[in-house]
Amino acid sequence: MATGFLTDTTVCIGCKACEVACKQWNQLPADGYELTGDSYDNTRQLSGSTWRHVAFIENPKKRRLTGDVDLVALAEDVTEPLPGGAELDALGRWAFMSDVCKHCVEAPCQQACPTGAIIRNEFDNVYIQPDVCNGCGYCVPACPYGVITQVPHDGRAFKCTLCYDRQRDGLEPACAKACPTNSIMFGEVEELKTIAEERVQELHDKGYSQAYVYGTPEVGGTGGIGGNHSKFILMDEPETYNLPRHPYLPQEKVKGGTIASMVAGAVLGAVVALAFRD
Amino acid sequence: MSETTRDQVQQSNGKIETSHHPEADSRRSDKNYYGIPPIKHAHWTWQIPVYFWIGGIGAGVHLFSTIAQILGHKDEALIRTSRYTVLGTMILSPVLLIWDLGRPERFYNMLRVLKLRSPMSTQSWSVFAFGNLSGLITARQAADDGLLGDDNPLVRLVKLIPARFLTILAMPVGLNVGSNTGNLISATSVPLWARNWLFMGPTFLASGLSTALSWLSLVLHLTRSGEEKTLHTLHRAEKATIVIEAGLIAASLIRMSKWSKPLFSREVAPLFVGGTLIGGILAPMALLFGKESRPKSILASVLALAGGLAFRFAIIKGGRISADDPEAYFTFASGESAPQPEDKV
Repeated sequence: MATGFLTDTTVCIGCKACEVACKQWNQLPADGYELTGDSYDNTRQLSGSTWRHVAFIENPKKRRLTGDVDLVALAEDVTEPLPGGAELDALGRWAFMSDVCKHCVEAPCQQACPTGAIIRNEFDNVYIQPDVCNGCGYCVPACPYGVITQVPHDGRAFKCTLCYDRQRDGLEPACAKACPTNSIMFGEVEELKTIAEERVQELHDKGYSQAYVYGTPEVGGTGGIGGNHSKFILMDEPETYNLPRHPYLPQEKVKGGTIASMVAGAVLGAVVALAFRD
Repeated sequence: MSETTRDQVQQSNGKIETSHHPEADSRRSDKNYYGIPPIKHAHWTWQIPVYFWIGGIGAGVHLFSTIAQILGHKDEALIRTSRYTVLGTMILSPVLLIWDLGRPERFYNMLRVLKLRSPMSTQSWSVFAFGNLSGLITARQAADDGLLGDDNPLVRLVKLIPARFLTILAMPVGLNVGSNTGNLISATSVPLWARNWLFMGPTFLASGLSTALSWLSLVLHLTRSGEEKTLHTLHRAEKATIVIEAGLIAASLIRMSKWSKPLFSREVAPLFVGGTLIGGILAPMALLFGKESRPKSILASVLALAGGLAFRFAIIKGGRISADDPEAYFTFASGESAPQPEDKV
């Protein structure tokens, strides 16, 4: 059985309860109290000590609101032409997205790990064994989503465990438990996939044709790594949420690079041998 | 509201700037998500580029001395210098690598599993195997040199070591130490490194051999111990290798295309253009292709060695800039430019 997350960004209200719940449950250290000026996002990014991060994306109005606008209609799910040529999003839209480790099906961090500290556990989640990790840091540049970092003063690499300890006791992860709008859903990957498809269809029916699922091999373009166990329903370009469009598995090229190196070794050896000839 | 802001508002048809979204706020120049890097750069400090350099020298020296022995070229000074050099590099390498770990006391976990898909794993095993073989070979050398005393049980035991056989056995392992460092950095999500997966290993190996030949030439010249034939061969090999290295760096730059920009940034250009291309390749090339002389050889060796070190630092620093640039990563990971699973060699 594989478990994972489905984060529906369309119902996220940016309350950051997931960030707080994650920090509390996993006893993660504070990252400081810096004001970034990047909207209300003072967390900035995922790291070894931040396993949930709520992104604040301000989509300002593209067109001026004119005429006698029905604000009630604006607030509801209405996309038919509004008076004065205004659009539903003409007031500007604020998008939130609670980012988390993607728990890739073919995880680059796991393949990079030289100690075997990063494994797939019984829930098919990508899990770092803290008692094995020796802090070589090779998983950090391998991750195509910038999820893992080394924690200073500890030396080891950390990331979302998908609340392995809670799952062992039959509980859902802390972030999913704390989410007040059910933007973060936890469950079996196959079930979540169905829920995601239904939700996207529902959004399409309401006229939001831009909605899609990010993290499947088909949509969102994660073919190189076989899809993610943490999926997202997004309403904008992946780059808007700081996500790559087509992440790939870096280790795909190890074999080719090794063969090229062997050829180079043979050529250089031959050159040295020729240099000995008079 | 200041005068300029009021002007801006009026020009934009009454639209008031309330947003900090980069695309709407002309005062902010960052792109994508507030310019925050979508991937994380490697934390590696100076120990890693220095290891890349030292490991490359060890691999190259071993390659040269092994071929000399296979071809029956008997120069005691060359063999001795080579063996002690390789052992020296293989003692320093693990020290540097363990130093850079977040938990140095757990370094032995590197030998917990062997993963062919992880260049870091194969690298650890190669350094382990190469170091041990080199230790045995050098022990034999030390016994032959009389460093372990005269006739005692230890010397008799050490003299049983089949040094020539082990030397040949160690050659492929040593070559892997030299080239795998390049494959190690290209098996990441960093555009500058990942894009160049085809030439990174060969370039590192060629550069390693070039620095190794320079090292041998430098030591033999300074100690005035090498045979004329050895020095001449080294000179010829240095010339050929530096040309191959230059060709591979050129091929790498073409392959990296627009993602090679960090190498020419203000921070890295002194290392890459000044230190590597001019100081480490063009200058030694000019010296080597002129008339052969001792001072020129020594100068060329020093320049090539420094250039090799500058190259390692330039690549690591360039990778950091590349990883921190959202634009570079997003263009790289947006389709055709990214290495795709179906790509063949």
